[in-house]
Amino acid sequence: MEIVVCVKPVPDAETRLRVAPDGTALDPEGVKFVLAGYDESAVEQALLLKEANPGSKVHVVSAGPPPRTEEVLRAALALGCDSATWVEMPPGVSADPVAAARSLARAVSGAAHDLVLVGKQAGDDEAGVVGGALAELLGMPDFTAVLDLRWDAAAARLRFQRSTEAGVEKWESPVPCLVSLQQAWNDPRTAKLPAILKSRKTPIAKVAPDPSPEPHGATRSVKFELPPPRTGAKLIEFKTPEEAAQRLVKVLKEEAKVFP
Amino acid sequence: MSAPALVVGELHDGHLSDGTKEAIAVAQSVSGNDAVVGFLAGAESRAAAAGFGEYGVSRVLVAEDPRLDAAVASVVAQLVSTAADSVSADLVVVGGTTHGRDLVAHLAVRWNAAVATGVTRLDRTATGLEARRPVFGGRATETRRLEGARAAVALRPHAFPAVEPASVAVTVTTVPLDGIPPGHWMPKRLGVEVASRGSGPTLTDATIVVSGGRGVRTADNFRLVEELASSLGAAVGASRAVTDAGWRPQGYQVGQTGKAVSPQLYVAVGISGAIQHLVGMVSSRVIVAINSDASAPIFKVADYGIVGDLFQIVPALTQEIRRVRGL
Repeated sequence: MEIVVCVKPVPDAETRLRVAPDGTALDPEGVKFVLAGYDESAVEQALLLKEANPGSKVHVVSAGPPPRTEEVLRAALALGCDSATWVEMPPGVSADPVAAARSLARAVSGAAHDLVLVGKQAGDDEAGVVGGALAELLGMPDFTAVLDLRWDAAAARLRFQRSTEAGVEKWESPVPCLVSLQQAWNDPRTAKLPAILKSRKTPIAKVAPDPSPEPHGATRSVKFELPPPRTGAKLIEFKTPEEAAQRLVKVLKEEAKVFP
Repeated sequence: MSAPALVVGELHDGHLSDGTKEAIAVAQSVSGNDAVVGFLAGAESRAAAAGFGEYGVSRVLVAEDPRLDAAVASVVAQLVSTAADSVSADLVVVGGTTHGRDLVAHLAVRWNAAVATGVTRLDRTATGLEARRPVFGGRATETRRLEGARAAVALRPHAFPAVEPASVAVTVTTVPLDGIPPGHWMPKRLGVEVASRGSGPTLTDATIVVSGGRGVRTADNFRLVEELASSLGAAVGASRAVTDAGWRPQGYQVGQTGKAVSPQLYVAVGISGAIQHLVGMVSSRVIVAINSDASAPIFKVADYGIVGDLFQIVPALTQEIRRVRGL
């Protein structure tokens, strides 16, 4: 099976957020960008499928500026992806998720693909839009909130579960299709040193971004704000557990007004 | 007069879902009370269409076909595009569910719309629509201008009050089901297992969430968390430590690699508050932490804290809540 997995470099979860001088974005100064969260889990899922289905190949693609995008592609190669394509975006342009999907579509459609995998959402903008937009651009059905993805070679069907508001749904689908993974039900592997060294020399194919007149897409961030710092919890004073319970219920009722 | 806004409804037990009522309220506030048109798809759509009339929406478009109850998003997006164009809408608003988010992602391409998801505020300004939304797990917010002639917006659950009832008569129009690529009918939903969370609300939908962490120590002790949740009518969540240990299934996990929740009230029991957990819950309106370690980071983001032994505090709290609620 030919698997394409799409990833995005995102700020490390420990990043201390600061507002850029123009007030519309995260200040990227000093931020460490990594392959993380749902994307890391999507790469792991791609590699598990490859291992379970001999002869499969995993191709990783990403659209973004240097140097962070090349770095996450090399991280994915070090984990075991076979090849990589980079849609190099100009620095300083913050593509909205749909603009990113348009660029990714150029890379995906140029590669063999039975299955396109994406993470549920990026850890920074949390839009969760790339998968659906990309599926629409590629003209294939897609599924979000997917868990437990397996390939049934005899029936030529993907079988998986989806965790939606209705509960856990069981599905099957022919390929090609796009799958957006819900969460890290897998435990992503870590790269070994020889693979990291090898990944540095692996050639990365390049594709030009979508030549749209509005490279940022149809939406534009006009303000980026940090919430006022939380002042810390108001601690409930008590002598007995019963007193703690009574006082907490009282503040939830009368002060916070969230008691059901 | 502004162009109409189309609200794509979802049903819960045959009635409009809470998310749909929130979407109607938002559509009315940005497009005008009389400029909202409803849309429903699926086997029950025609029967349920009158439900829009209870909230002042007099025009409803339906795509009545049982196959649409388990259709992929590209199919629904095509019908919604047709419906939106048929009433010359310039805005589609949906609730913050999996299907809602999926739909707007497709409309970005299918209907050429500027899209925003997880929206907590939507304003029509002189320069167009502006959507405010939490990012970075609620550690920041961005305001995004939706440029161009069309927009599609998925709300964040519970971020808006539901629409006020206002009874009007409803005119129902059918949306034709043609031109769907045959391959898009081929994926099959084989079944739905209503999650084994008992009778409680689902995690991402709940207005109150009670989560347990490493501090509960054993799978058996986790029932203390569940009993507290039950007393509040809350959904049950867990930190990664709990799901990794197998005390509760993966579906319970709140955090970076689990679910993101933003309830009115979040109660963290025996959770230290690692950043991976915080990004999944920090945008909750009110956070309560119960932990024996006064220096646990959870107390920095919580609004109210009880520093104490959860094995004593939680049963007392459950009992007090039951007493006050008359359960």
